[in-house]
Amino acid sequence: MTTLAVPRFLPVFKIPLLDRIAYPATAVFVLIALVGPWIAPHDPYQVDLNQALLAPGAGHWLGTDSAGRDILSRLLAGARTTVLSSVVVTVGAAVVGIVVAAVAALGGRVVDEVVMRVCDIFLSIPGMILALGVAAALGPSLRSTIIALVVALWPAFARLVRAVLRETMASTYVESARTLGVPPGRLMLRHVLPNSLDSLYVQAALDVSGVIVLMSGLSFLGVGAQPPSADWGAMVADGREYVTTAWWVATVPGLAITLTAVVFGLFGDALRVRLDPTLGD
Amino acid sequence: MLRLIVRRLLLAVLTIWGVATAVFFMIKAIPGDEARIAAGRTATPEQIEQARERLGLDHSVVVQYGEYLQRLLHGDLGTSVVTFQPISSDLATVLPPTLELVALTMVINVLIAVPLGVFSALRLGRSGDTASRLIMVLGGGVPVFWLALMLQYLIGSRLGWLPISGRNDYGLESPHVTGLATVDALLAGNVAGFTDAIRHLVLPALALSAPFLAVVARAIRSSMVGALKADHVAFARAKGASNRRIIWRHALPNALVPTLTLLGMQFGWMMGAALLVEAVFSIPGVGTYLNSAVTSQDTYAVLGAVLVLGLVFILANLLVDLVQFWLDPRTRVAS
Repeated sequence: MTTLAVPRFLPVFKIPLLDRIAYPATAVFVLIALVGPWIAPHDPYQVDLNQALLAPGAGHWLGTDSAGRDILSRLLAGARTTVLSSVVVTVGAAVVGIVVAAVAALGGRVVDEVVMRVCDIFLSIPGMILALGVAAALGPSLRSTIIALVVALWPAFARLVRAVLRETMASTYVESARTLGVPPGRLMLRHVLPNSLDSLYVQAALDVSGVIVLMSGLSFLGVGAQPPSADWGAMVADGREYVTTAWWVATVPGLAITLTAVVFGLFGDALRVRLDPTLGD
Repeated sequence: MLRLIVRRLLLAVLTIWGVATAVFFMIKAIPGDEARIAAGRTATPEQIEQARERLGLDHSVVVQYGEYLQRLLHGDLGTSVVTFQPISSDLATVLPPTLELVALTMVINVLIAVPLGVFSALRLGRSGDTASRLIMVLGGGVPVFWLALMLQYLIGSRLGWLPISGRNDYGLESPHVTGLATVDALLAGNVAGFTDAIRHLVLPALALSAPFLAVVARAIRSSMVGALKADHVAFARAKGASNRRIIWRHALPNALVPTLTLLGMQFGWMMGAALLVEAVFSIPGVGTYLNSAVTSQDTYAVLGAVLVLGLVFILANLLVDLVQFWLDPRTRVAS
């Protein structure tokens, strides 16, 4: 089994540029997300109408919004929510996916067929739509968004994990363990799952990036975290009205979403190349 | 072949039934009194009771489910509490604008993604590959609603090259036949109306295509890398086939077949993501309808819109499966 351990430093110069910057960039973004609220230069919730819609400059590096709040501070305050909740969603969807896939893999043909048809049903509703419906139904809030996205994303995980599990289950050592009388639960937890997790890590890392974008979309539509909390998607929505007069209000948080999603996307890509030698050239 | 098609069709029907069932029970599981919403905000308790009776909400959930399926089979999705129209006819008016948008998005998607993926595969590991991968990663990371907003502002407002909202400029609309602004314009022989409709679609379609073309380009890149290593490509090379012929005739067609499945799925996802773009460009499509139905708690309108989106997804995949059977002899033998 390939490990997720510390990157080996020797052949750094041979790794393609994008993969080389992926790990440090991700570390920086995670760090910003963790300490963001403490390093914010201003109070992200301080309304001051005399300071409304100030262009980026000395006092406010990224300008202020329509309520005179410092955009940089709001970005930093929102970073933690964005990154953390995306990780929570991904882990949640992965756990549900793994459990469902394990049940399908152990349960025999009928269970497997039923589980996969249920996945198909969920997958045939666009994720954005499913999440919007669930989030709106639960009442707009950050919590609802997280639940909604887990509901929308677990089937993709279940599918992926099932395919991997089936492959691992067919290998000789699992066959031997089974013949030796290892009970199904132990077989799954000790022998099959640990050897099937690599592709899951990759998928999860790539998904964090997708979740950041999806979640900001839901906030943009108004079903995510509610005002006055600093949420990047909602900040873009706030800036919409002023796009012709104060471009930075909508532009800056959008750039933050893009940059964060790109960095996590690169991280997933780099992880994929590392864990799947057949892709690396 | 015929057996396979029948099997696929049956599976499609089963999935549609599943989607209908899942959505129905999700709505039932949600707290809130449907009768109160249907009767309107100012309704008296008597009116609420009347609405409850009229909608059959006084029956048990199982009976309600049966009635719901029965109505569904007759194409009856209920009445919107916002527009007071049958939801099926509402959907018939909002579906064409979205279909039109998604169709153009798909064209842009393929036109950019295929060359990008092929180029990236040919330059594997070199700077051209890095640049292409950067475009793919950017496309995957940029939120479509923000990209839409930026394109609208920069290209629409600042440069004034393309219209910033709606489907047709005033006075250029064509008589309603299909509901597709482009097709209706062609049917009416209205050339100015046709170009105008396309011009209105370009920015929304560009914005919507970004995340999808990123995925397609990536898929093409990796299947192209595989295809270029295949024995038959080596053989063609040994026979002295030109580079161009090897790429376009021997490698690409094989790399494209698996991508078809992806495009089929993307068609459905685009219908969903179109929601965000429609909101920015004020396009009266399914997304806009769904979004306002969600805000006004128009339960059955939400259900209808989700069902239609699910149906489009299933039909698109069915169609792709059938095309694939026809294109790729291996799938026929294997199944």
